[in-house]
Amino acid sequence: MLLIRAIVRPEKSPVVMKDLFNAGFPAVTKMSVFGRGKQRGLKVGNVTYDELPKDLLLIVVNEKDKEFVVETIIASARSGEKGQAGDGKIFITPVEETYTISSGRKE
Amino acid sequence: MKLILAIIRIAKMSETKKALADQGLPSFTAMPVLGRGQGHGDLEKIKAYEGSEDILDDALTFVPEVPRLKSKRLITLVVTDDKKDLAVETIVKANQTGKSGDGKIFVVNALGSYSVHTGASGDDTLD
Repeated sequence: MLLIRAIVRPEKSPVVMKDLFNAGFPAVTKMSVFGRGKQRGLKVGNVTYDELPKDLLLIVVNEKDKEFVVETIIASARSGEKGQAGDGKIFITPVEETYTISSGRKE
Repeated sequence: MKLILAIIRIAKMSETKKALADQGLPSFTAMPVLGRGQGHGDLEKIKAYEGSEDILDDALTFVPEVPRLKSKRLITLVVTDDKKDLAVETIVKANQTGKSGDGKIFVVNALGSYSVHTGASGDDTLD
């Protein structure tokens, strides 16, 4: 299994989550985070904002669903056709084991 | 070295903290998160109303099209390979109610660990 960590714009996270739900991936964990990317934040005049609010989505999927989920997130999290700096990043980490607490079973 | 990500009920935090500390795993990081699973909890609520058609219709109006996000705690802890099973078992035991919504545990490989305080690295920095 793979852990997908997607950092998206806060206003885009409901869209991403709805599209994932409709595609059959209801399970997701969301948290608000602050971060900056390689543009070093946002510069407005003399002021630099380098702690921009984002939403971090945690999704664990099977290997075979990885491409599809990543494409779904990219398609729904992009602003406009071509996308913009600040749309976010997706990181993928292998998950060695998964347990469901209610059943105590390993999946 | 393994990184354990456990998403649990808020109400189970103190029990989990105590259970982990009793097993010699006192250190972890917790953060408030929102999350949803397969949404079986909402289905269970509808099933509880089964038997009366009128009530069922009423109940259905309360079930959102997309499952709601529920407040959860995400606890992350890094343990040595030999303590991985102990940590998972302890978290499962402290959090299991048998109902959906108890949470999930994910185990990820951790490549390194450093203590900011002493500058030490490796398994010595863990519990």
